[in-house]
Amino acid sequence: MNTARTITFTLNGQQVSTAIEPHRNLVELLQRFDLFGSRESCGQGLCGCCTVLVDDVAVSGCLYFATWVDGKSVTTVEHLDADGALSPVQQAFIDAGAFQCGYCTPGFILMSHQLLKEHPNPSDDDIRHYLSGNLCRCAAYPEIIEAVKLAAKR
Amino acid sequence: MTPFEMVEPASLQEAVSLLDPQEPTIRPVAGGTALMLMMKSGVFQPMRLVCLHGIEPEHSRITLAANGALRIGAMATLRQVEKDANVAARLPVLKRAMRTLSNVRVRNVARVGGALAHGDPHMDLPPVLAALGARVAIAGPKQSREMPLEELYAGYYETVLEKNELITAVTVPALDGRKAAYMKVTSRTADDWPSLGVAVSFGLKNGAIRDPLVVVSAATVKVTRMKNAEAALQNAAPDDPTLRRAGDAAAEEAEILSDSHGSAPYKRELLRVYLRRAVREALAGSAE
Repeated sequence: MNTARTITFTLNGQQVSTAIEPHRNLVELLQRFDLFGSRESCGQGLCGCCTVLVDDVAVSGCLYFATWVDGKSVTTVEHLDADGALSPVQQAFIDAGAFQCGYCTPGFILMSHQLLKEHPNPSDDDIRHYLSGNLCRCAAYPEIIEAVKLAAKR
Repeated sequence: MTPFEMVEPASLQEAVSLLDPQEPTIRPVAGGTALMLMMKSGVFQPMRLVCLHGIEPEHSRITLAANGALRIGAMATLRQVEKDANVAARLPVLKRAMRTLSNVRVRNVARVGGALAHGDPHMDLPPVLAALGARVAIAGPKQSREMPLEELYAGYYETVLEKNELITAVTVPALDGRKAAYMKVTSRTADDWPSLGVAVSFGLKNGAIRDPLVVVSAATVKVTRMKNAEAALQNAAPDDPTLRRAGDAAAEEAEILSDSHGSAPYKRELLRVYLRRAVREALAGSAE
């Protein structure tokens, strides 16, 4: 069944177009543009490794049909340093040592950006609840909470 | 996932007409967070999905009626419900339930109508809304109908919806001083699918419980009212012996399933205890 349709959307600030089938998810779509920061890991929306911003709202790329971004604006972790400097959250993750293997880090960083937009001065409890859908198998959680607070201060 | 066709109707009537009462491989999709899990595991292989995003603007509003009832459009996201000022002020139990309902990303995308229509007994929204006396509005090809939410559920992942019917809204009456609480019991993380969900609401008059609603989910095949537990609470003071009787009545009457979230005997014991806690939490008005 060839059901591919052409979609046009803004990807990290650039307008792009591609043909894609309805059964593809957003992670698969991004891979076609050589963007690998959003990774399908659990495949069930639980782990947050595939986090992508669609119209500035965080979604699990693995649970989001690719065609749904037609006409929308998509931001991935690759765009956060578009102006040549790391974002305050990215820098804080480095300064706090908030990762080991780094696999989950893009998701944590994008979710932390959203968290700080909603809670500019978050409590530990706010951070824990907001990031409960992001898993770090290296268990860098204490450092991640530290990094979020550090980014909030800056 | 296997290939399928996705159609995007621009009106509710068009959406209904694209569904087929006889064809189980044609289904509506709103947020897709639950449906995609079924598709990824191969449990559901659609021929056609009817995407409802085109009718989102007019069916995602949360409005307050003159009588204090809140009408939540079926295409409202769970996050919209969580952030809504009227929900926060008038139905704090609903806002609190959102906090441990999956995670922010899923709540950003999942829609209220989908959470109600999916029929998965582990979902949090159906028991909370059922205990608040919510009613669902349903549109079909010929006529619309409305029913108490708990009557929507026919069995495990089964509802009384025809395959060409769509939930359009859920209406939650004003609490009017009634107390309400929802206890979600998980055996792993706080935001996991629950082993048990217990939602209660009741009035209080002269220190006695009036017109209680007790709804159990997750441990049972479907969202279920606990009528014997309600009878044990009716017109009684919410003291320890009453709560014990109500907990025992629920544990007795509920048909409980064993699954990966716990054995039936374990969940029966949870119900006995958490029904009491739910009533106490409702009385306490519960801080976050």
